[in-house]
Amino acid sequence: MSEFEPRIVAFCCNWCSYAGADGAGVARLQMPTNFRIIRTMCSARVDPEFILRSLAKGADGVIVLGCHPADCHYIGGNYRARRRIALIRLVLEQYGFDPKRLKLEWVSASEGEKFQKTLTDFVNTIKELGPTPLQQEGE
Amino acid sequence: MSLFGRFRRKDKTGTVKETAKGAKNEVKSKPVPPVSGGSYVKTAGSVSAAQLPPADLGELLPGAPQNGKINLAIYWAAACGGCDVSLLDTNERILTIGDMANIVMWPIASDGKEHDIAEMEDGEITVSIISGAVRNTENEHMVKLLRKKSKIVVCYGSCACFGGSPALANLVPGGKNEILDYVYKKIPSTASFQADYHPNSPVVPQAKYEAPEGELVLPTLYDTVKTLDQVIDVDYFVPGCPPMQESISHMLKAVADFAYNGVALPPKGTIIGVVTKTLCEQCPRRKEYRRITKIVEPHEIDVDPDLCLMDQGILCLGPATVGGCNARCTKAGQPCRGCYGPTTAVQEQGASALTAIASLFPVLDEDATMEESKVIDIMTTIKDPLGYFYAFTMGKSLIKKSVTEKGGK
Repeated sequence: MSEFEPRIVAFCCNWCSYAGADGAGVARLQMPTNFRIIRTMCSARVDPEFILRSLAKGADGVIVLGCHPADCHYIGGNYRARRRIALIRLVLEQYGFDPKRLKLEWVSASEGEKFQKTLTDFVNTIKELGPTPLQQEGE
Repeated sequence: MSLFGRFRRKDKTGTVKETAKGAKNEVKSKPVPPVSGGSYVKTAGSVSAAQLPPADLGELLPGAPQNGKINLAIYWAAACGGCDVSLLDTNERILTIGDMANIVMWPIASDGKEHDIAEMEDGEITVSIISGAVRNTENEHMVKLLRKKSKIVVCYGSCACFGGSPALANLVPGGKNEILDYVYKKIPSTASFQADYHPNSPVVPQAKYEAPEGELVLPTLYDTVKTLDQVIDVDYFVPGCPPMQESISHMLKAVADFAYNGVALPPKGTIIGVVTKTLCEQCPRRKEYRRITKIVEPHEIDVDPDLCLMDQGILCLGPATVGGCNARCTKAGQPCRGCYGPTTAVQEQGASALTAIASLFPVLDEDATMEESKVIDIMTTIKDPLGYFYAFTMGKSLIKKSVTEKGGK
């Protein structure tokens, strides 16, 4: 059996993390290819519905990346985001998911290396956790 | 926007399709004329549902319709019975309903039986009003039978529309076995009964029993509680726990108008009795700063009768719930629990509520340097978020069931 390759949805904020991901690419840093980036204007734009929809459609993990605290382009978006993520993590825990399947991390525009490290670590975490416990319809 | 909102429906392929005003009508058993916007629909366009007076059926009904009384069936699946009682909220109009319709089935009040319905021709029942979620084989059999025999099926109440409280059973990890085991062996009254009378092997209901007179059968419970429209094709939705009197009378007026005057029915998939905006729009309470620092229950404080409940630290699902009930709970000092379901713009009522409420926790001075564990401490002041935010809509949520991590290699 081939090794489990997780499918991960990464939400990156436009101003910091997406630029950070760009920086990682320009610097040709090596990283796993298991994640799909969705650019949002702010980490606070990531509605919990997006996260639940990702998981419902079969994502093995979801990572939300935003600006460092006090660095948000919209002053306080990331503070809102971290509160929501903390709460949605409680909801996922009640559903029976391992809360490690949802991660929030701060990556600034200049932190290409941190982006690489964060994603590599997250892919490894999900590989340890195994495939999503959600039974897809029709299985 | 009119009294009738739009509703997202899932067809059999699982893709979301929107049934909107003017959408192609799909009632199979009987062609329904295309929508012309009946007079009451136009009235509703200018006033919000809640301000509409209950429709006066008396004007409409000089006696039985010329072509004979219509047949009306009312059925409850997995429901508490409150919806059945709410139908009597039409007060004296219930008598005109009797003039208009033969009640062929109403388990709570009349004598129609399953075989009476089974003997009917397809489409012989004009309207079936079904409340409750679908939870066992009997529910499924009956709603499918009623769908077959009915021209119009109305999905009545929050359990039928969104799963309601019964759908919270989907969160029990062990499914039906765990529920049955708990109910028949573990709760104190049954545990002592089993210990006293059946100490060796507890007696639990069996789906089949061979009696000398023949085989006895009980319905089998499902692991997953389903909403009505996940099982059968539904024409109209009337949400609420229970629905408002105004919604009921407007639904019945639409049917009466159709039976007597041939007025076109509202488009299929219409939600009767809701507006487009959220409950906060209808709520008369004064909104101020709206920041939550401490969560309280209404009985723990003297609730200010004019101030927004969120301002007072009471978790209210008003911002995520569609209006239509005219804020009957918040006017009485109780928070909205979300029985009218989400607005049409979102699928997940719980996620909307979660978004709104998480944002009400104020940004602190120390936020820039705060540890993540502190944030978790703040958010865990909300106990049981899943049960609170999805109290009525678990059956319609994106993730409908609890899951079990199997662990990696």
